[in-house]
Amino acid sequence: MRLSLTPAEQQLQEEVRTFLDSQPHLGRRLPHALEDRIEALREWQRRCHESGFVGRAWPQEFGGAGRPPVEQIIVDQELAAAGAPEFVNVVGLDVLGPSLLRFGRDDQRRRYIPTILSAEEIWCQGFSEPEAGSDLAALRTRAVPREDGFVISGQKTWVSWGQFARWCGVLARTADPSPYRPRHRDISMLIVDMRSPGIEVRPMTQITGHAEFCELFLDDVVVPRENLLGEPGEGWKIAMYTLGHERGTAALPRQVKLRTWLDRLIRAACARELDGGALIDDPRAQTALAQALVAVEVLRHHAYRSVGEFLGGGAVGPESSTVKLLMAEAEQRLAGTALELLGASLQEATPEDAGENEFWEETYLYSRAASVYGGTRQIQRNIIADRVLRLPEG
Amino acid sequence: MDLELSDEQVWLSESVTTLLERAWPPPEAVATAKDEQRRRVWDRLVEFGALTIGAEDGLGAAELCLIARALGTRLVSVPFLGSAAVRMAVAPFLERMSDEVNDALAGGVGVSLAQLEPGSSSWFDAPATEARRTGEGLELHGEKVAVEHVEAADWLAVVASLDGQPTLAVLPTSATGVIRETRRSFDETIPLASLRFDGAQLSQRDALAPALGDRALERLGTIGALLAAAEAVGAAGAVLELAVRYAAERKQFGRAIGTFQALRHLLADMYVRHSSGWSTVLYAAASLDDDADDAARNASVAKAYVSRSAREIAHGALQAFGGIAFTAEHPAHRFLRRIVVRERQFGDAAHHERILGAQLATRAGAVPRALAEASLP
Ligand SMILES: Cc1cc2nc3c(=O)[nH]c(=O)nc-3n(C[C@H](O)[C@H](O)[C@H](O)COP(=O)(O)OP(=O)(O)OC[C@H]3O[C@@H](n4cnc5c(N)ncnc54)[C@H](O)[C@@H]3O)c2cc1C
Repeated sequence: MRLSLTPAEQQLQEEVRTFLDSQPHLGRRLPHALEDRIEALREWQRRCHESGFVGRAWPQEFGGAGRPPVEQIIVDQELAAAGAPEFVNVVGLDVLGPSLLRFGRDDQRRRYIPTILSAEEIWCQGFSEPEAGSDLAALRTRAVPREDGFVISGQKTWVSWGQFARWCGVLARTADPSPYRPRHRDISMLIVDMRSPGIEVRPMTQITGHAEFCELFLDDVVVPRENLLGEPGEGWKIAMYTLGHERGTAALPRQVKLRTWLDRLIRAACARELDGGALIDDPRAQTALAQALVAVEVLRHHAYRSVGEFLGGGAVGPESSTVKLLMAEAEQRLAGTALELLGASLQEATPEDAGENEFWEETYLYSRAASVYGGTRQIQRNIIADRVLRLPEG
Repeated sequence: MDLELSDEQVWLSESVTTLLERAWPPPEAVATAKDEQRRRVWDRLVEFGALTIGAEDGLGAAELCLIARALGTRLVSVPFLGSAAVRMAVAPFLERMSDEVNDALAGGVGVSLAQLEPGSSSWFDAPATEARRTGEGLELHGEKVAVEHVEAADWLAVVASLDGQPTLAVLPTSATGVIRETRRSFDETIPLASLRFDGAQLSQRDALAPALGDRALERLGTIGALLAAAEAVGAAGAVLELAVRYAAERKQFGRAIGTFQALRHLLADMYVRHSSGWSTVLYAAASLDDDADDAARNASVAKAYVSRSAREIAHGALQAFGGIAFTAEHPAHRFLRRIVVRERQFGDAAHHERILGAQLATRAGAVPRALAEASLP
């Protein structure tokens, strides 16, 4: 184990810093309206990709940089230190992209990977349904095979960024249920063009007030055969791989973001008053911040130890559930701390505090989803009990 | 940057585990271990090289943590923590110290660390124990508590003040004016004593001059916290494993209790705490080996986290065992006791959170402005 950087890694660090110094984006507030924000973030990811900082470990032939996985960690660290925003195509980068790389044919990888990296095409994930949440294998969306492809009908829900996405990874049944086969063996993964006829996207307003996820209705949507990922009936296996990345790999950019939030909270604590002094000088505030720091740092240390290998495209096992639990815990701890520290002043906001307050209120509310999306906290514990601890099943 | 254990580190860890399996009784029998067994396992560890620390090919913090974890896993009772931590702490300053100390530390002698004083908290750096200057040397006066393994250690490292500044003083256990008294130990597998220093003499050179003493104590705090945490992680992992095994075997309501989701989730949470506790210890140790600026801070993160989580794991295990673990012969409480003792050393969670919190507050001005502006939920 060695945390210090090799000369080549130091050079990369310098490169990122030089790049960051030249970015007018940094230090500017992002637009508030969701559409404008997405555009600004898309532009940000594009620039970072142009400079080789996105998909650092992804194969060069598909637009990645083909470098060792730790380089992505180094890049992420520098971006965090400069307070850079997160890449907008998270679902593409951390959720479905790895599955495209792993299970896709070359023509599929050539078609989809470069635009994921550049954020030219945003991806979304069509797994959950109204009747199939934790019990994902109960999904009902049907993809009826025909000569040149499939015709999909059904309803997906909670589809994050669905209204901005060009592509959706949809899980659907491609065979009729049979008593001779476990139900998850009928499921396939299809790459659906969100511009296809028969698609309807209805954004839903979240508790934060933003509409970041959607209902997705599929009504006889025709999907060409070449958009099947892997083999028919392999959808479940691919979905598990995908979720492993969502729970595991995604921790790397997420912990970066949490650290920027922590620093922001510290600044807010410096600016606010408590009983006549600066809030940051209150020993209880300091302890609470320290506890949040510990949670975020432990997530980072654990992610480094366990995620390093996933980045190179290795197998993502049930260990990703551990990362996922730590990720939700750190985010909720940090956001909860913000709520408690800024507490009273959130309600009595002066006009100059209003923007900052809104950020923390949203961040707090959003953090409550961290133990739901990607599989709930209870489901992660079930996975650890079953597949890591191998406890007897009920 | 390389985030995986090297082949040598994996080999070291496996070798120590094998050594301990052969030379040390299983957890249910540790309380019956005799002094002779302690001596034997300690000799083997020293022979293996567990105290060959620093220098070119010696062990670093990560390796020492691997060893400490293995010791915790088997509840081994040897003066490793003090011996290793003191060697790491004074390594950069050895040439200033006497030949006797150099010879002793280069060889395999055990060192007991005398740090805490009556009424002090889990870590402190304002010792009442004093090294007074006499004509040619120093005289030690004061009282220390919670000193482990004095019987097995030929040398003592004492946190004492010299010219009003805290430093580390090293002297033989057998020096005149060192009066020891056996004390009750919460973890009875670890022999405990209090020490009184009644003018015990040592060379000027063996109490580091204030500026160096400060640095040595900082190093001591960092490596000590990591070794204590690593040992607690080892103990927590072992008791978790016992609890998981029990949950698979024990039947109630006609089924294994490990099929009940309440218990499965408890055990899963314990697993998360254990696995991540080890990650953070290892990361901090690697940063110390790299001489990173934030090594002490990382150690505080690790100690704060493990202090809370190791005990949480032990509590969870006691719960999973039910009544059986409340019997003295069941090993669960021995793991709990070891964990509690390590939690109290080198700063508990509250101590390290205080340090981290104060650092956050002073460093706050240095956060780049961009951070506050550019991120969004
Ligand atoms: C912000 C957000 C974004 C999301 N984005 C997407 C997306 O992009 N794509 C997508 O496909 N989905 C997405 N989801 C959906 C998410 O994956 C599901 O919400 C989640 O899997 C839970 O399913 P559910 O909502 O139907 O809850 P349910 O499964 O009905 O669960 C309700 C409660 O029951 C508990 N429960 C269920 N089964 C068990 C069990 N076996 N043992 C113990 N407890 C159990 C759950 O833990 C939970 O507390 C998103 C969700 C959120 C909140």
